[in-house]
Amino acid sequence: MFFDLNIPIPTLQPLGPSATAPQSKKGKAVAKQTNAQQSQLFFSPVQIAAIENRVELLVHLGYSVFAFNQAVHKKLDPKTHQNLAQTLLSQLKRRPGVAFLKRITIILDEDSEKGFGLASASASIFSGYDIIALTPTTPGTLSLACLTHSQPSALTAHVISLPLTLPRLPFHLKHTLIRTAKKNGAVFEMNYSGAFGSDPDAFETASAATKRNWWAAAREVIRVTKGKGLIVSGGVTGEADLRAPRDIINLITMLDLAQDLAHGTMSKEPQALVLRARESTHMCLIA
Amino acid sequence: MVRFKNRWILVEFLPLPFPNQQSTTLNSKQIYAALKQSIIVNFGDAGWGAVGSSLNVKYFSPATNICIVRVARDPHRIAWGAVTYLSSIEGQKYIPNVVHVSGTIKHAQLAAIKHNREVVARYRARSNVGSNSYEEYLAKSTAEIESLQD
Repeated sequence: MFFDLNIPIPTLQPLGPSATAPQSKKGKAVAKQTNAQQSQLFFSPVQIAAIENRVELLVHLGYSVFAFNQAVHKKLDPKTHQNLAQTLLSQLKRRPGVAFLKRITIILDEDSEKGFGLASASASIFSGYDIIALTPTTPGTLSLACLTHSQPSALTAHVISLPLTLPRLPFHLKHTLIRTAKKNGAVFEMNYSGAFGSDPDAFETASAATKRNWWAAAREVIRVTKGKGLIVSGGVTGEADLRAPRDIINLITMLDLAQDLAHGTMSKEPQALVLRARESTHMCLIA
Repeated sequence: MVRFKNRWILVEFLPLPFPNQQSTTLNSKQIYAALKQSIIVNFGDAGWGAVGSSLNVKYFSPATNICIVRVARDPHRIAWGAVTYLSSIEGQKYIPNVVHVSGTIKHAQLAAIKHNREVVARYRARSNVGSNSYEEYLAKSTAEIESLQD
């Protein structure tokens, strides 16, 4: 059983004027009920057909559990936020033997250091997702993600996704930091799309340099995590960069990771993560 | 004497855009050239030096785009990585999908036959056309794969 926990959701153009409502700075203070009445976004039949095709291809390649990833930049605004993963899942047809999950990723930069909406005020938004992920791009946000947001709670960040295609990693991966995050149950994520020169977060355009950066940064991540608490997912936007799980595992073993650990990054580790994430939300419902 | 050990890599090339059932006009020479280029680009001259002397495209079926590649055992991960990096051959885009890696040609053959059967079953389910041509094709390709020699 192989997992791809990062299938990017295509961006939607907002329909109607209400989506461009003024965004107040203290938006996270109150999550209003009027959210539901805002213009709902839907995926066009063309987009849905493309995603169905993508899923078909992934199943052919041997994956069976997918997480559709909604990326949010800088901070989450509870007033204008819509759960696109939910919308998408309700429009996709069900397949036997294949599981779909909902994931949200907040991409953090300097502006996010004061807060990015992952707070109890917007807990209702995050409970709509199966997996919560953070992508730190500064040293400050990395330590925030590793220390504060990996603590077990209803709003735990399950995945810390590292940007591997920058010319350098934007931070030094310190053992203590990484160890704390791993002890708290967070996992680190590498997206293999960078190995093929394409960039999930569009930091720069596809090039040979992107590939080189990926190999250097991935080696660093392997060194510091020793292959435990590490998952590898897709993050592939173009169809051409999709690869079968075993092919990716082979590439990971070329980073000097033992074969069983490399295999675990696409099967055992994500499976444990999904179960843990489900359990934590379940516990919160009781509490 | 210790015998020379090989790895047999069974690859399926999925033409893009997916799903795409047209049969291609590739041959094993073109695949060998593309693979060589991929090794040199991604693993350099040293990579090609390690793999080159034993690399051999043993079989290619244009109908199902299945290919068997032989490579020496020690550097087989380089060849595998180069296959993974192979995104286009002769201008046509493909997704390489390594179906099986085995130590003897026998098991590569068995896996190829099994895979052929699965692919044909999938085409048949999709197109609902009379099954005779598929049966013929299966029998033919099975015979062809079985006749492969070391």
